[in-house]
Amino acid sequence: MKPETLLRRPQTNRKLTTGCKILDGCLRGGIPCDSLTEIVAESGCGKTQLCLQLSLSAQLPISLGGLNGSSLYLHSEFPFPFRRLHQLSRSFHQSNPSIYANHSDNPCDHVFVQNVHSVDHLFDIMPRIDGFIKNSGNRLPLKLIVLDSVAALFRSEFDNTPSDLRKRSSLFFKISGKLKQLANKFGLAVVITNQVTDLVETSDGLSGLRIGNLRYLCSSGRRVVPALGLAWANCVNSRFFISRSDETICKERSENDESGSIYVSRRAQRRFDIVFSPYLPASSCEFMITREGICGVQA
Amino acid sequence: MEAWRLPLSSSIRGKLISAGYTSLSSISSVSSSDLARDANITEDEAFEILKLVNQSSGSSSCNGSGSLINGAKNAWDMLHEEESLPRITTSCSDLDNILGGGISCRDVTEIGGVPGIGKTQIGIQLSVNVQIPREFGGLGGKAIYIDTEGSFMVERALQIAEACVEDMEEYTGYMHKHFKANQVQMKPKDILDNIFYFRVCSYTEQIALVNHLDKFISENKDVKVVIVDSITFHFRQDFDDLVQRTRVLSEMALKFMKLAKKFSLAVVLLNQVTTKYTEGSFQLALALGDSWSHSCTNRVILYWNGDERYAYIDKSPSLPSASASYTVTSRGLRNSSSSSKRVKMM
Repeated sequence: MKPETLLRRPQTNRKLTTGCKILDGCLRGGIPCDSLTEIVAESGCGKTQLCLQLSLSAQLPISLGGLNGSSLYLHSEFPFPFRRLHQLSRSFHQSNPSIYANHSDNPCDHVFVQNVHSVDHLFDIMPRIDGFIKNSGNRLPLKLIVLDSVAALFRSEFDNTPSDLRKRSSLFFKISGKLKQLANKFGLAVVITNQVTDLVETSDGLSGLRIGNLRYLCSSGRRVVPALGLAWANCVNSRFFISRSDETICKERSENDESGSIYVSRRAQRRFDIVFSPYLPASSCEFMITREGICGVQA
Repeated sequence: MEAWRLPLSSSIRGKLISAGYTSLSSISSVSSSDLARDANITEDEAFEILKLVNQSSGSSSCNGSGSLINGAKNAWDMLHEEESLPRITTSCSDLDNILGGGISCRDVTEIGGVPGIGKTQIGIQLSVNVQIPREFGGLGGKAIYIDTEGSFMVERALQIAEACVEDMEEYTGYMHKHFKANQVQMKPKDILDNIFYFRVCSYTEQIALVNHLDKFISENKDVKVVIVDSITFHFRQDFDDLVQRTRVLSEMALKFMKLAKKFSLAVVLLNQVTTKYTEGSFQLALALGDSWSHSCTNRVILYWNGDERYAYIDKSPSLPSASASYTVTSRGLRNSSSSSKRVKMM
């Protein structure tokens, strides 16, 4: 390796559309390539929905905001929502008739799912990803890697002792380093989801340490902090926070009901915040999750 | 020693003497801009004269404090050198003030803070501001940006470069009312071309690159700032032997210091923050440990105070401890708009 080869001509990063214009507006186009993007949320807020939607958008041609590539979905939480993926895939197929000319073309063919049950397993998989990309053949090249979620990998194996925490921190940087290397080498977008834990104020006040644009993070009416602490926060390029507020009532017209009567249903309002990012100003937007996927709400 | 002995053209000598500068000591005690104004000569000529004066007073035998050891300088010469060193502005005047005018050249400055506080933003701002031409008070130099984390986004650098060009055009229009506003030659794309961008994906690449910088900068002498974003990332994994890590890091720090002194450029190292267990509790500290903290000449810590971003001079051989607030806008780093006292002396 010659140090001269490290000199690059930086290119504008391609963006992957989220499938929702309002969310894309917040993100100035979508999720950037050659970058690690973290989505932090409480369970049930929609991070998996967003990741599934991104896995499908990746197949879109570049002119429509996609990456013209396939996606790899690494999931550490069980079970993988296959049924939801098929549901989203059907409506994706319907809304993009020009791309899927053949009726038998299935967008799910370009989403590769792999379960990960521990950190060691993840390190075993990484070199295989390299081979997988290089030997694409006539498949669509891999352009998106989703890791859902990173927190689940670390949940059971580490105690709270200083030496275990140090070991854990060192693993964060190793994972992040390898994923960034892959992202840089092949121009991939990498999305990692993370969980939250409730904030328990300790005497040193470090657990409530402010990181990013929001003074504190709130979801379902309580203060939360992203899991894995300050060390992991240093490993990602951008962090976005999805929260849910108390349920709001909204009106929906039932499609199956011939009388066309309106009924009320409960849908929780979700909020998407930019916690930190190297190129985005602080902003937020609101969205809902419908049968078709994520749907932004105009403020 | 008398001024008429200096090897200058007779017209310039005449101007100096008629302005009252008859002895070398009187010339060496003024700055080049004062000399230029008094003697009615250009700044470049004044600068040349001062250089000559320094050389003569160093080698003169009537001057008892001539160098006994080759390469030794007396403190007056060093003070004069330091005062005439250019500084790179951060575009935030409050921050510039506590830094003594800006980031100093010939020094290694470490800037650390939590994620999202603006380290990369300062790095990009400095790599743009170093290119501000001399006519506008800048260095007219180029930048080396070593990206170890993948945080450098071209669209953001372009945004900051465009704002810089707009500010220069506005300044020209304001200062020279008879001139057209668009006299500035630089275009944002040129600014991007003048940032030598290196992407490093492992610590071995980082070390190889640092070793290569001497040769690279010798071939590109107009580089005036080297920014490493961040110095820490690749060193927080895989080092089971901390002693080896300390050794590698101190070698790297030494190389940076040599580069800074040899080429008179500024080295800015961006660092991360970690929790350290001291005195029975966890506290925030810059990463890479205690021995690394000795490796940099200056250290600035960025932190949140309420909803404001603040910078604090943690270590400096000449600047008093002080903090100042700043904001990150779409145009880059700027003063914060709050009306409360922005600069606090400690």
